[in-house]
Order: sequence, then C-alpha cells, then structure tokens
Amino acid sequence: MSLLQTIHLEHLPTTPIHIALYRNVTNASFLQQQLLTGNTDFEYAFIDASVIVSRIHVLSAAYRAINALHSHRLRSRNVHSEIVFSLSPNNNIAESFRRFGVTAATTNLLVVKVGGDGEEVRRHLEGAVEGEGVGFEEEVLAGMVDVGRVRKIYKLNGSRGGAKKGVANRVGNEGEEIRELEVSVLGAMALRGASN
Amino acid sequence: MIAIGLEGSANKLGVGIISHPSPGKPAQIFSNLRHTFVSPPGEGFLPKDTAKHHRSWVVQLVKQAMAEAKVTIRDVDCICYTKGPGMGAPLQSVAVAARMLALLWEKELVGVNHCVGHIEMGREITGADNPVVLYVSGGNTQVIAYAEQRYRIFGEALDIAVGNCLDRFARTLEISNDPAPGYNIEQLAKKGKVLLDLPYAVKGMDCSFAGILSSIDVLAAELKANPETKDHITGEVITTADLCFTLQETVYAMLVEITERAMAHVGSSQVLIVGGVGCNERLQEMMGLMAAGRGGSVFATDERFCIDNGIMIAHAGLLAYETGFRTPLEDSTCTQRFRTDEMFIKWRD
Amino acid sequence: MEVQTAPPAHQAPSSQSPHLLPPIFQSDTTPPQLITQGAEALLYRTTYLLPTLPCALKYRPSKPYRHPILDARLTKHRILSEARVLVKCRREGVPVPAVYAVDEREGWVMLEWVEGEVVRVRVNEWLRRRKELGVQEGVEEEVLKGLMGRIGRAIGRMHGVGIVHGDLTTSNLMLRTRREDAKCGDEVLDGEIVLIDFGLASQSSADEDRAVDLYVLERAFGSTHPRAEGLFSELLSAYGTSFKGANVVLKKLEEVRMRGRKRSMLG
Repeated sequence: MSLLQTIHLEHLPTTPIHIALYRNVTNASFLQQQLLTGNTDFEYAFIDASVIVSRIHVLSAAYRAINALHSHRLRSRNVHSEIVFSLSPNNNIAESFRRFGVTAATTNLLVVKVGGDGEEVRRHLEGAVEGEGVGFEEEVLAGMVDVGRVRKIYKLNGSRGGAKKGVANRVGNEGEEIRELEVSVLGAMALRGASN
Repeated sequence: MIAIGLEGSANKLGVGIISHPSPGKPAQIFSNLRHTFVSPPGEGFLPKDTAKHHRSWVVQLVKQAMAEAKVTIRDVDCICYTKGPGMGAPLQSVAVAARMLALLWEKELVGVNHCVGHIEMGREITGADNPVVLYVSGGNTQVIAYAEQRYRIFGEALDIAVGNCLDRFARTLEISNDPAPGYNIEQLAKKGKVLLDLPYAVKGMDCSFAGILSSIDVLAAELKANPETKDHITGEVITTADLCFTLQETVYAMLVEITERAMAHVGSSQVLIVGGVGCNERLQEMMGLMAAGRGGSVFATDERFCIDNGIMIAHAGLLAYETGFRTPLEDSTCTQRFRTDEMFIKWRD
Repeated sequence: MEVQTAPPAHQAPSSQSPHLLPPIFQSDTTPPQLITQGAEALLYRTTYLLPTLPCALKYRPSKPYRHPILDARLTKHRILSEARVLVKCRREGVPVPAVYAVDEREGWVMLEWVEGEVVRVRVNEWLRRRKELGVQEGVEEEVLKGLMGRIGRAIGRMHGVGIVHGDLTTSNLMLRTRREDAKCGDEVLDGEIVLIDFGLASQSSADEDRAVDLYVLERAFGSTHPRAEGLFSELLSAYGTSFKGANVVLKKLEEVRMRGRKRSMLG
C-alpha cells in the first residue's frame, strides 16, 4: 500500500510531482536493477531516504531538476536521474547515484515521479515496491535520516558552527538543529555549479 | 557680463570668450579656440614640452579669440583661468598668461576648478538640470552628483584615469596621437568583433584601470609575437582592432555600471557625460541604453565642449564672478591637486 | 556627507515589472511581487517550493549596454560569489539569510525571506517616539546601546569567518520580528540582527577591508541617524571583543578615518 502524495511546486504549476515513501523495503536490488537496465516502466527517482533531511531537501532537488528539464540543461539522462544528481554537492554524477540513489542496502526508499497520472503511478508502485508505505512527512523522514552520513556527504563537519551551534543568539533545540542542517544542505546543493 | 577663459591643464591650450546676457538667459559663446600639442606616435606629452607649447601659442590664441568675438578689452569683465587640477608646468604657463592679462588690462582674476568647468559647461549646453555626472578624461575619472553647494564625488578611479589607460594603450600599439589617441582607438574598435577576456575591476562606485592596462598590453605583446592567433570560441584570427574593441567594451561597461549605481543611490534618471573620453560614441550609446532602462536619458556634448576648452573655464569662472568670487593676484596660483568637491558652488540652490 | 539620498524605491504591489523575469517565474498565477529595484538587481517576494515558504528572489537582469559575453560572465560570477559568501556565513553561524536555490545562468538566487525591518527604520522609529515623549538625548539609552552592541558582534562574527560586506549601512542590517506586539516602546529595537545584501561582499581577512567596512557603516550611521551617532562607540567596543584580531582592525579604522576614503586625486 503506498501513500502517494501529489505536489505542485511553486512556479511549476503545470508539472505535478508524485512522491511516495517506504520503509522496510526488501527488493531494493531489483529496483536498482531496473534503473541500470533502463527499463522504461521505471521512470522514477529512487532515493535512499536515509540521506534526506526533510521534505524541502528532496523538493529542492526536484525543483532544480525540473527547471533544468524545462530550460534544456539536463546534465544527466533524464529528469529523474537529474533529481538524484541535484542532491549532490559536487559535479560527479556517478557518485551522486551511489550516495543518494537506491542501492542493494536501501531499506528506506523515497520515490519521486515527475508528471504522469497519479492513480497510474500509485498502481504501478504498488506492484513494484515491496515495502511498507508511510506518509511523506517531516517526522517520518526525521526518523529515517542518518545525520552523521548527511554531514559527511555535504562536508558539514569541518565548519565551526554548522547546525550544532546554529545561528548566533538563537536558542538551539532539535527542531532548530534539523532546520539549520537543512539550510546548510540546501546551500551546498545550490552551490554545486560554483565549484568548477 | 563677459569673461575670457584660459585653459591649459593638459596638452590642449584653449581660449574662449563667453557672455551671460542676463539671469535665466542662455550663455552666448563669442569664441572658442583650441590648439593641441600632439606628440609623436608611441609617446605621451611631457610637461616641459607641453608648457612650452602653451607659452608659444597663448598670445596668438588670445588675440584671435578677441578678434573673433568682436569684443574690446573694455567689454571684458574678468579673466578666468584653470587653477587645477592638471599638470604643473602647463598650468603654470597659462596662469602666468592670465596674470599678465589681468595686469595689462586691469581686470580681476577668477581661478577655476577644471572639473567644475566641465560640469557647468555640460549643464549649460545640454540643459541637463541636475544630472549625475560622469567626468572622464586623460587625468580624471569621477562619478559626481550635486548636493548642498558641492559637486560630491561618489565614485572614482582608484589608480589611473580611464583616458590615461586608453592613451597608454595607443602608445603600446604605436598608433597616431592625432587628433587624439582615444579617437584613433575608437575608430579601430569599430572594426573589432572578438571580445577577449580582461579583468573587470569595479568596487562599489569606484573602479581601477591599471590592471586592465597591463592585461591588454600583455595581449598586444602576444599578438605581436604570434599574429596568427585565433580566438578559441569563434575561431577568428585576433586583430589589433579586436584588442581595441575589447578594451572599450570592458572599460566603458565599468563606467556605465558605476554611473548607474550612483543614479540609483541619489534617485536621479539624468546622466551627463563630460571630459575628453565623453566624446566616444560607443560610451554615449552604452550610457543611453542604461539611462533608458531607468526611464531617463543621457546628455553629452560634442568635441567642442567635451575636450578641454577655454569656454568652459570662462563660463564657470563667470558664474563664480557673478556671485562675488574673486581670485586676488597674490593668490592666483595653480595646483596639480584640486578636488571637485573642494569648490563651493555658490551659484546653485 | 549630506546627500539627497532617495530611499530604495518601494513600489506599490504590482505585477507590472519593468523587467521580464526568467521563464520559470512567468507562468505563475501569483507572480513574484517587486519589493525594490537597485542598480544591479531586482528584489521580489515570492515563495519557494510550497505556498507556505516565503522567499526573496534576487534577480540580476542582463544589461543591454554590455557585450553579451561580458554580461553573462559578470552575472554568473556575481550570483555565485554572493551565494558562496552567504552559504559560508550561514554555515559558520553568521546571521544571514539562507540560500535556497541558485540559477547563475538565468541570473537569479532565492533566499530566505527575513520577516522584520531594517535597522534604519527601527532606530528612526525609536528616536521619534523618544522625542515625542520628551526624553533627553543621552538619557535611558541602554536599549539602543544594546542594539549597537548586537550589531557590533554580528559584524565581528562575519569578519571573523573571513567575509567583508562591502556596503554596510543601516539599510543592510535587519531586525527579525520576534513578537506580534514588538512595536511598543523599547521593544522596537528587539530582534535578532540579520546582515543582508551581500552583492558587494567578498572573502577577505585583510584588516584594511574590515576597517573600511566599519568606516562605511560609521559614515552611513552619522548621516542617517545624526542623533544616535554618539553611540557608535558602543558598536565598536562590542566589535572589539567579538573575534581575535578585532582590536587590530579598530587601530586600522583610526588610520582609515584619518585619510578618508578618497585619496587626493590625479593619477
């Protein structure tokens, strides 16, 4: 059973995206294989949810990828691979798939589909993903995220303050910490083009 | 009232005679003569030679200006001269001539700030009431706006002036200094197509040209060593014209940018370009595009008033004279450094 | 310097903008709302990803007077350098708006929308109220002194991480709104300081650059709030303890003051 959520991102009213979140996924290898063999029935971004900090985190990647699609500036094969690549803090596409994409070890899976009919997407995913559908909600994502890994991927450990100290004269708590981590992650993603 | 103005802060000697008929009426230009010291290609003008040029021409030019203006010595109310800024020796030569005339004709002297002369003449000719002023010449690069009896400098070149940058590049290319090195660069630039990479040095409302000059000099040296070099984007063979084109596109973009910033800051939509570099049609065109984008317009003058001249000194001097300003003989010195904002502008609201 | 400075053109909410926004913002049913038009950039208020997340859209339109190659190069460079500086600041705990998204080719950046007002407005408000109440200058100024201290520390923190702002004025410092009722009495000066508009910022640890930052703010403060000018020393003393090396900068500031920003001319 999947709890598919359809979202119209701001400024992209004609391009809906469908998002589903799963835990205890048992057929991650199979899903990865479909992407590797280029099975056209599987036009999805399959993302390992343990490296996703928040809804805004993954929606940002989708926004960037769709913008690239519309302006004919895709750097990878299609808009779905571009979403995975858009999560990356650098220009290494292959590495972005290893870090953010589905792997054999993935148990928490986030699926993003750009366009298409929501009902069809829901039906197809029901047959394709073996796992427990959960809501695409902040609390659920917070329970899945491996903060240490996120910090490592986005190189946020070396910085002096980072999410830990937070912004000056603001009281730190867990919510603030995730929020500040999210801000650092968005910044790193946005600056992907700035490194070269 | 009628004034005669003497200008010689750089390589142009100018003598002009102006009349201010009555308040509110436009000024009348009776005569406006200029004689330019032109140095050979590859060389700049040296203070010593320039001063000598001014000394040998000033008497003849004054006589000719008086004759053309059809005025007598009795008609002249005051003698205006450039007090600064500029090159020491040429300024002194002209100041001596002004003092001589003052004693000979028994008239009072008015020392004028060269930059204020440019601004006031530009306003008079174009009718621009309260513009942001871009003053660009061989010795000066300033963005100026008027506020409370001063022409305030909002931005300026932090090292060499833009005109100096162009003049020195003309020397690198060993192109003619006749009629002016900048003019010849402009003509060459019209044939250029390829935009090469140069530094772009704007900092707030200030800018800098020394680094650009050394970079374009390097490009020129490379071109000389290897004339077949092709542009890596277009595949076209790079020419001297492309270098001139690149230099102009880059430095003028910088000037327009700092001017726009000043306009946004003071909330003005008018811009006036003065100074020798202000004759450049590409600069005027670019400034016009910028001003149009802000719902305003650009004002510029032709070479009679853009390039250093005597009439602007006569005009600004007479404005000061009418408010009671005098320069006593014992104070009728000149100075190489004389900032635009040092001058008290009594004649404006 | 008393200059006839026009305040940033706060335009009436209008979908009419003198510049055409990049394609992505053209299909909107609720178009971004123009807030200010500077020389370089247009600032809009819009939303990022979700209708509930407001953001600031800073757009640098291409300049028709510039050669297209030069124009693209400058726009890209400036968008990226501003974003880079903001990300660095935010990561190191300097209070600046977060960077949400960047498109350097189209010339835009989306930033966190900071709810609040600029320090210029708040300080003037506070001064006006005091005047109305007939409070003498120099009396009960602790709240304003507190604000100056917070500004000094925020600038110190920014300098401490190797960034100079390049255009510090009381219009480029914001006070975040904390409470709905924060507009009464001394609370008008409450709120977290946020440094904004890094369009002229750069990465530098030179004492000279840092001192010029302070000098520019000092002059801006003097001309914008002459009645509060005397309290600038509060800002400087808080700055002096805010990072290692701040005292060297204050020494340098004296030098910068002496020579003024402008050298005597003739190159």
